[in-house]
Amino acid sequence: MTHDYENPWGYRLKWLYMLTVVGVLMLPVFYTLYISFNYGGFGAAEYEFTWLWYRTLFENQEIRTTLGWTALIAVIVVACTIPLALLAAKFYQRTRFKVPFVFLMLMPLFVPADVTAAALLVYFKNLNTLTESVLGLAMFELSLWTAVIGQITWCLPYAFVVILVTMARFRPEQAEAARTCGANAWQAFWHVEFPQIRAGVFASTAFVAILSFNEYVRTNFLKGGFDTFPTYLVSYMLNTGMTPEVYAMAGLFTVVSMSVVIVVLATTMLRERS
Amino acid sequence: MTVQESAARTRPVPAVEAEGIAKNYGSVTALKPTSFAIPAGSYFVLLGPSGGGKTTTLRMIAGLIRPTGGRVRINGADVTDLPADRRDTSMVFQGAALFPHMTVEQNVAYGLTLRRLPRDRIRSEALEMLKLVGLAGFERRRPHELSGGQQQRVQLARALVLKTSVILLDEPLAALDAQLRRDMCFELKHIQESVGITFVHVTHNQEEAMTVADEIALIADGELVERGTPEHMYETPERRFTAGFIGENTLLDGIIHGHGQEARLVIAEGLEIPLPNAPVGEGRPASVSIKSEDFRLAPEAVDAVSAPVEVVDVFYLGFSTVMHVRLPDGRPATVRSTTGALPTRFRSGDRAVLSWRPEAVRLHLA
Repeated sequence: MTHDYENPWGYRLKWLYMLTVVGVLMLPVFYTLYISFNYGGFGAAEYEFTWLWYRTLFENQEIRTTLGWTALIAVIVVACTIPLALLAAKFYQRTRFKVPFVFLMLMPLFVPADVTAAALLVYFKNLNTLTESVLGLAMFELSLWTAVIGQITWCLPYAFVVILVTMARFRPEQAEAARTCGANAWQAFWHVEFPQIRAGVFASTAFVAILSFNEYVRTNFLKGGFDTFPTYLVSYMLNTGMTPEVYAMAGLFTVVSMSVVIVVLATTMLRERS
Repeated sequence: MTVQESAARTRPVPAVEAEGIAKNYGSVTALKPTSFAIPAGSYFVLLGPSGGGKTTTLRMIAGLIRPTGGRVRINGADVTDLPADRRDTSMVFQGAALFPHMTVEQNVAYGLTLRRLPRDRIRSEALEMLKLVGLAGFERRRPHELSGGQQQRVQLARALVLKTSVILLDEPLAALDAQLRRDMCFELKHIQESVGITFVHVTHNQEEAMTVADEIALIADGELVERGTPEHMYETPERRFTAGFIGENTLLDGIIHGHGQEARLVIAEGLEIPLPNAPVGEGRPASVSIKSEDFRLAPEAVDAVSAPVEVVDVFYLGFSTVMHVRLPDGRPATVRSTTGALPTRFRSGDRAVLSWRPEAVRLHLA
């Protein structure tokens, strides 16, 4: 490909655009990160590097517990969402009603988070009344599981789209070839299709993990009597304002999310090079 | 021995038998009810224009699509309700059907690993097949490191290694360039002869079909038009469509006039073709076809039947020359002659006489 006749301003504008994006999106985040390592916190006269705020964070039993809940929810959400997304993508390949199906799958992205959350909350309350009257047992008390369901509605569309994109590159003749070699439908998927969409499944796993880790609104409505890291952070912030601990918590968020993204990018690039 | 058993002894069971198989997609008909039997050990070609139903037919034999009507039998056993993996068939696809994440050897061995054979036996059989298709030493390569022709050979090895009684080939050479396709045709034929497995090969390319086939079935518009040996399809086609699709024939439509020795096909005012003892009555519409090499173009009549023509185009192809001419009423005809046998170099616009022997005329009633 040649760019010999390209307008040089096109090139410059692209760079300008990228720098603006980085400036607007990333600078505040990095600034927060920078402050989180300052002994005096925000607005201090001089910068003094320290691990103190992070140490306080990890010494705080409450925060460690919230991190535990957050991780547990993330693991369950990933374990449920990825198979569901795979099923949905397989269904998409076969259905004749592709557009309505995609619309249906992506709906959760277009409904405001608090609306979904409140709706689910009411829904679970009703289900509770129902199961209580029929089985004598309220099966949908707010708990880990209601939070998990709320998060899945949020993560599934993303996982679906990422897997769908990788699956689109798969040539269906290969699955047919496997069938004519004697593989049943499951073997054809597992031996031939899955290895080729593994990168997409891996990427969507990381994506869903980050989404779950960062999710606030739905979790806050639907969780049981515990806090996740985001709900803890928000309530802490509302109670105490922007203390140095809040900066450290925000910094922890950034580092965890970014490292997941970097690991995914690195693995994808390594895979493509080999 | 029962009567049925003795009947089975005398008449060999066909490798593939289709009994009224049909496929509709809603109101669209891909294949009308079609019946045929493919003798075991033969090289059978399904030939026809694209969209005609030949691939649908093949995929119904493979078990990749379910017929909307009729039965499929393989070696006499009804397999209509069985999926592809439970049929005694294997398949070669047009392209991109190798597993890209496996090596050549793993691709060829895939079906055998599913059968849970001992590992060293799988390996030796896979290597043997790679040798048969001329790819010994390629076992560690990945599919994307191979040329198109080599990929198709791997696909063939992957199908052959399963030792199924039928191998189905869906446009296996369509993605290859002309020269390679020709070479691969000879090779396919040799391999089929040496292994003795029934091959069912789908193609739209008539040269490919003629090269490999013991028998050709012409399929068009969802229908089996005609079947026969390559010689039959080329020399004595029964159907007008066959004459139009196979070979380079001039087709003329008209009405039968006269009886017995006087019978003739009237094509237009002043253009009649004698058809002595045509097996049909006066007034019936009919067609004739004449092969391009059965015409002779000369300044004057050189055969029993002739018509004055105007030369429209001349294509010099080296060994042969193809000429498009116009009959008196404006109908086109195609003449092919070995260049050396032409009495003179014709040019477009020349007046000449087109002659042919009465035996060269083939009558088509449908």
